[in-house]
Amino acid sequence: MKKLLAMLLAMTMGMSLMACGGGETADKSTSGGSTTAPAETTDDKNDTATESTDSAESDMAAIKAKGTLVVGITDFEPMDYKDEDGNWIGFDADMASKFAESLGVEAQFIEIDWDNKIMELESGSIDCVWNGMTLNDEVKNSMATSNAYCNNAQVVVVNADVADQYTTVESLADLNFAVESGSAGEDAATENNLTYTAVQTQADALLEVSSGSSDACIIDLLMAGAMIGEGTSYPDMTYTVKLTTEEYGVGFRKGSDLAEELNSFFKTTYDSGEMKTIATTYGVQESLVEQ
Amino acid sequence: MFWTVTLSLMKGMLTTFQLFALTLLFAIPLGLVVSFGSMSRFTPLRGVVKVFVWIIRGTPLMLQLLVVYYGPGLLFDWDLLPRFQAVLVAFVINYACYFSEIFRGGIQSISRGQYEAGEVLGMTRSQIFFKVTLLQVIKRIVPPMSNEIITLVKDTSLARIIAVYEIIWNGQKFIKSDGIIWPLFYTAVFYLLFNGVLTILFGLLEKKLDYFRV
Repeated sequence: MKKLLAMLLAMTMGMSLMACGGGETADKSTSGGSTTAPAETTDDKNDTATESTDSAESDMAAIKAKGTLVVGITDFEPMDYKDEDGNWIGFDADMASKFAESLGVEAQFIEIDWDNKIMELESGSIDCVWNGMTLNDEVKNSMATSNAYCNNAQVVVVNADVADQYTTVESLADLNFAVESGSAGEDAATENNLTYTAVQTQADALLEVSSGSSDACIIDLLMAGAMIGEGTSYPDMTYTVKLTTEEYGVGFRKGSDLAEELNSFFKTTYDSGEMKTIATTYGVQESLVEQ
Repeated sequence: MFWTVTLSLMKGMLTTFQLFALTLLFAIPLGLVVSFGSMSRFTPLRGVVKVFVWIIRGTPLMLQLLVVYYGPGLLFDWDLLPRFQAVLVAFVINYACYFSEIFRGGIQSISRGQYEAGEVLGMTRSQIFFKVTLLQVIKRIVPPMSNEIITLVKDTSLARIIAVYEIIWNGQKFIKSDGIIWPLFYTAVFYLLFNGVLTILFGLLEKKLDYFRV
């Protein structure tokens, strides 16, 4: 009995230690440079605290020092995808390379698990998320975001043979939807009081519909353009209702000064017409947001 | 398309295989060390090892991967391990703990009498272990080990959580880039082939160890 109690106590202590650690990092990164190292910490701790304060003070300086801007992406045509030779191209990829160039560093693209994007940022394994990311509450609360640079919509995808029955929001009430967990599509489903199952990716949502386990799904308009119709695994699907429009932005670590830097970069390239030229290359010029 | 997919999956298979082979290479010796720890006559050491094994076996490998890779950066602002190495560390620790329990079972199944006989003949403890016990233990632990090792092949698919591009990742990416889903299911062929070869190898090994029936 005593042993059991001791073990439980040890466990609770371990957990509370971990919780402290987590809280501390969050504090440090939001404090944006105010000196936090408390007097009672040991020498070791003091060191790490000062270090991290420095990096929070200027993310830009840290990135210039290491010489690379690590960009977290997923394969998402036409924003980030690979050309024939395996290089990353797309509207976002090209803009990211230009932005890195303006900082005097090199852009390095890393494919990440989208669910872990916040952890990737906070742990420092990537420096920004630049992948047609919808600026929703989750993103705004957990990252330093840039201004919106692109518009997008959430659309309802159904099998083509029943498409004409579901052309209004009212007609959707009886359907079972599949949406990507934590996505803007899920928000749209909640807002319209639709019945839905949350799945891991937008691709899974499409799979749900094609296998018949859901009647319809809600995905990005840009995604729908690339993933359904002729020449894909889903030739018999089409999209009908546009539920919400939304905006794309770039996410940095909380408290990072790079978000401001990027905003002025967007402004310069928008005014010079460079942004529009790149957008036209990938066919997204209609969706650009004025800077 | 078929060849593009196959090539891509083969590339993923290479990562899967490296992870598999390196995990075995490090986890088996470490597992032996852990099993000695859990049988130690020094109570505090035994306690620590048992708690450690309990934590590792009692939490999902997926969480352990996230902790090993993101943990240092999230908690202490340290530099991160390269992705593959982080996966390897998590897998080695996890599998060493499972292996250690199999080893312990194997070692403790050898009857007390054999140790006593060895002592009577004037052998040291390590002589008894390596010359008398070990071969019998190996023979007994082959079936449970083959179970774990085949599970390991499939567990490597968890590596994609922290963006190590193993075979499932390479199959899944075609869903996004080309809108086709069959490559994901095609990965099963690779796992089946791999495990088929392993099953045959374990069969051969068992035959080979078919000496001194107890």
